Amino acid sequence: MSGRHYLEVWDVAKSFKGTNVMLGMDFRVDRGELVSLLGPSGCGKSTLLRIIAGLLNADDGSVVLDGRDITHLPAHKRNVSVVFQNYALFPHLTVAENVAFGLRARGIAKSATSDPVKEVLSLVRMSDYADRPITALSGGQQQRVAVARALVVDPDLLLLDEPFSALDRKLRETMQVELKALLRDRGITAIFVTHDQEEAMGVSDRIAVMNAGKIEQFAAPSTLYAQPETPFVMDFVGLSVRITGRVTATQSGMATIDTAYGPVQARTEVGVGGTVLMCVRPELVSIDGGENTISVVLEDVMVLGSKTMLHGRASGEDRILCELPGIRTGLSRGETATLGWALEDTLVYEVTP
Amino acid sequence: MSSRVDRIGLLAVPGLAFLALVYALPLLMLLAKSIQTPDGLSFAEYSAFFADDYNMRVLMRTLRVAGLTTLLALLIAYPTAFAMNRAKGPWLTVFLVAMVLPMSLGVVVKAFAWSILFRANGFLNTMLQWIGLTEKPVRMLFTETALVVGAANVFLPFMVLPIYAVIRQMDSRLPEAAASLGAGPFFRFFNVTLPLSLPGVVAGSAFTFSMAISMYVIPSLIVGERQQTMSMLIARSFLYLRNEPLGATISAVLLAIAVFVVIFSSWLARRLGARQ
Repeated sequence: MSGRHYLEVWDVAKSFKGTNVMLGMDFRVDRGELVSLLGPSGCGKSTLLRIIAGLLNADDGSVVLDGRDITHLPAHKRNVSVVFQNYALFPHLTVAENVAFGLRARGIAKSATSDPVKEVLSLVRMSDYADRPITALSGGQQQRVAVARALVVDPDLLLLDEPFSALDRKLRETMQVELKALLRDRGITAIFVTHDQEEAMGVSDRIAVMNAGKIEQFAAPSTLYAQPETPFVMDFVGLSVRITGRVTATQSGMATIDTAYGPVQARTEVGVGGTVLMCVRPELVSIDGGENTISVVLEDVMVLGSKTMLHGRASGEDRILCELPGIRTGLSRGETATLGWALEDTLVYEVTP
Repeated sequence: MSSRVDRIGLLAVPGLAFLALVYALPLLMLLAKSIQTPDGLSFAEYSAFFADDYNMRVLMRTLRVAGLTTLLALLIAYPTAFAMNRAKGPWLTVFLVAMVLPMSLGVVVKAFAWSILFRANGFLNTMLQWIGLTEKPVRMLFTETALVVGAANVFLPFMVLPIYAVIRQMDSRLPEAAASLGAGPFFRFFNVTLPLSLPGVVAGSAFTFSMAISMYVIPSLIVGERQQTMSMLIARSFLYLRNEPLGATISAVLLAIAVFVVIFSSWLARRLGARQ
């Protein structure tokens, strides 16, 4: 089994003060892949990252990188670079000295570091800033330096802990495109930790959605979005209509579900009497009818430019959304609208009431 | 905006007036005495002071004792500050109390307590003889070593607290970042932790050194008249010799050293801090 994947995390467990934050974590990444660990705070994504980096010891399990068991190696012997959330640049060193740090730590003479440092600084377009102190840099520039510092040592694996969260939205998007291209060009295997699903979808080949110390689903962004395996993934990745109901009748895999908005149909294995959660992506809901239709009072009509979002009045924990392309006029708050969607776009999860 | 700044500036007036009245004015009058002679202004007292071998020995001893005291305090304080930074909850309280409580205990009380420890038939000598390390009691009291140990003890909080303050502000991710870049514990310490803690070391050393060169009570109680320090020379000049110009001159020399230490250390701290 071992050696099939570039990075293999086997059955890793970690507890803090008697509370398990991670139990039986298995996780594989292939060479050259860009992967994201996506989840809410406290889901264990940073714990997993720190265990892979060697900054935290796992209680149990093993970490294998490129066929080598690194479970018990200290961080400085792993050749795994980390880009921290706050970048953790050394404030007493200049840009070039920061970037040279990893080379110096590997015993390379100061004189021999200047060429590789120049090369990575030009890669991140920071050549003109080599002799500046760190404090004189903007957030985006600091991020570039942190990336250069992590890459100059030619790491076997690059770990990035919420690398874009300190940047404003526009800069974030630019940096994501830039960094992704850079990592692809260099063939770097990288793991991003993030709580931002758009960021994860933008930068990764595959995303591991984490919840309560477990991976709920590990798949390509498109799969996660179109075929979320659990309600958590459905909810965490993108927006969705959520309607709970009870199955009142079934006929050859087609169920009639009683909801607060009337009966609807969906394909499911759940038997009569079962409680289900029905989900539909808002952009798959229309106001022109469909195989299922419900009538709801519009609570809000948000014209967002590229799209218009309708919020329907929902009962309890339910959520009713409809996303229409472009600017829609003629719909207003308080009106009753008929929302519809196709059977094949309906996802059904059995839930315990 | 500017009127607001002016009004805030007013808050400094009581403090400045107080300093001017009880500090700057008497000090200037004292300094003036060192160059006032019956024949007008002259630096004769200074050349006489520096020409005297005995005075130079006292000056050198004072600097040496202050230097060793600072070094000893630093060696003890540096790891202590790191331990405090790691300490949590009740342990941190224990550390802080251990640091601050002895400051409230007068130096006189401490010095007499040490004499119980250090004297010929004291605890330390009894122990040494019991283990068999020495035949006869070792002379500990009235030595420069005892003075350095005692002074380092008294000034320890002034060394620990500035270092602790700097370490506490240090980003704990920096050593982690260094480790992930391949730096082992030694490389990490000498290239990240130590340089980042230097401003605290400079501040603590400047505090300790300037207090140690001007200490009077501690040497009087531990080494007595046998080995004079600058402050004891000053006191002797004023109290016993009634030689005000001499006392003023020695005071001026001591003040010059203290001023140099303050200026040098703040320059050093700024140089170290400028890069951060």
